[in-house]
Amino acid sequence: MSIKINDLTVTFKNKVTAINHANLEIPNGIFGLLGENGAGKTTLMRVLTTVLAPTGGTVSMNGILYCEENYPKIQRQIGYLPQEIDLYPGLTVQECLEYMGDLAGVPKEECRKRIQYYLEKTSLTEHRKKKMRQLSGGMKRRVGLVQALLNEPEFLIVDEPTTGLDPEERIRIRNLLVDFSENRTVLFSTHVVEDLAAVCSRLAVMKKGQFLYAGSMKELIRTAKGHVWICRLRDEAQAREVEKKYHISSKQLSEDGIQIKLISDEMPDMDCVSVEPTLEDAYIYISGQQA
Amino acid sequence: MIMTEGKIILPAYKLAYAFSFVVILSLIRGITFSYEIGVAMEAPMAVLAMVFCADTYTQEITSKRSEIHRLYPIQRRLSSLGMRMVIQEITLFVLSAIGYGMFYGFQHPQSLSKAGQSTESELQMFFIFLAAIAVTLWFWGILANLLACLFRNMWVGIGCGIALWLVTNSTLGNNVLGNWNLFSYAFRNVMDSRDFRWLYGKAFCLLLCVWMTLLTPNIIRKRG
Repeated sequence: MSIKINDLTVTFKNKVTAINHANLEIPNGIFGLLGENGAGKTTLMRVLTTVLAPTGGTVSMNGILYCEENYPKIQRQIGYLPQEIDLYPGLTVQECLEYMGDLAGVPKEECRKRIQYYLEKTSLTEHRKKKMRQLSGGMKRRVGLVQALLNEPEFLIVDEPTTGLDPEERIRIRNLLVDFSENRTVLFSTHVVEDLAAVCSRLAVMKKGQFLYAGSMKELIRTAKGHVWICRLRDEAQAREVEKKYHISSKQLSEDGIQIKLISDEMPDMDCVSVEPTLEDAYIYISGQQA
Repeated sequence: MIMTEGKIILPAYKLAYAFSFVVILSLIRGITFSYEIGVAMEAPMAVLAMVFCADTYTQEITSKRSEIHRLYPIQRRLSSLGMRMVIQEITLFVLSAIGYGMFYGFQHPQSLSKAGQSTESELQMFFIFLAAIAVTLWFWGILANLLACLFRNMWVGIGCGIALWLVTNSTLGNNVLGNWNLFSYAFRNVMDSRDFRWLYGKAFCLLLCVWMTLLTPNIIRKRG
């Protein structure tokens, strides 16, 4: 499964361009999508799920072009978890999933088996008789993910799947997605860089409707090498001065002052040492480069 | 599937307001004769049908579930929508029949047939009412749903429906459209039980219902 995006443009009726001549290839496995709010990630996912038609450019899935006549063929192969979704509050978890599986065309018996399997995987088995309205935000998110997996899609698109989950659950969901991505494509959009670092080997960084970077995570981290510094500062006043000049990726208070991690092309004119960049540093570095 | 659709489309609050509406209507809308019950009920039940059915599909839009629904085969989506409409229309139809009985219970109207002034029996009047109200409910329910789907907003669906309701449920509407009016049953000559020309209006309603039913798949496909 491979998704190809060529010169994609999405302009809304109010003339706002959400995606501006973007090119990308999404291969098999988990592919991360990083970007600030309003970067165009959700718009891109809406195009990929056929909810939104592009105003320019082309998208194809395994060589099948995204167009009205091919939509049914494409839609059958997609599973989608939107960023915000309110699943049927009056139904129990089991009823809700059976209903959505039925609408997706999954045979009844097969659907029940899959529901049981994914409920176990997401630790929801004991909650299956609870009404959707009784679930916490994190549980609803997990049910949302299960519904996206029910038709065993070839291309799974998940928008912020770990929002509202506790650390243990986040790890479970990440592992579930890794297992699921074998021989399939999973597009994983999130703000949580840590999640992407744990599951993806390839990713794209979006900003203002364009891809700042698309490629391997290692390569992205390598580009930031030699540009990440750790400095020890005396007090808050000095820290404020430094913040004005540099991108700060982390700040820690300690007994002997303030330790900051900053991104800079050149060595800052203060007492500091170069450190290995993380994905988060690399993301901040590349976002700053293109600003 | 039907049970699940029922749970989705008939939450307790919806049943509660619909039942309350019928109870209040049968209490406050004064009638003297039994033949007035149908006249008293048709137009208000049309409003109830619009409000009741306008969220049939738009609830999927407001909850963002429509983005997932778009991935489902269109035939299954349409069959789900159709099932929801049928469940709601049957509920409204049963409520109308109960409401008819409530008018009797609360207001004890006089019967012309018992007084020998009409050839139409009470039962006959009731069955004619049921036939007329079935068409009325179907028409206004499907109209509100169709407009709501078209504009992706249930309030626009209700609003546009109310505008048409105001025009057709008026003296002007009756004068212009006559027997072809959408509310021809309410405006019929109640003193002449053999005058069935009001059926033209109901036949016209039925025709529009079929047209709207055929139109719905296209709107769901394009706007859903």
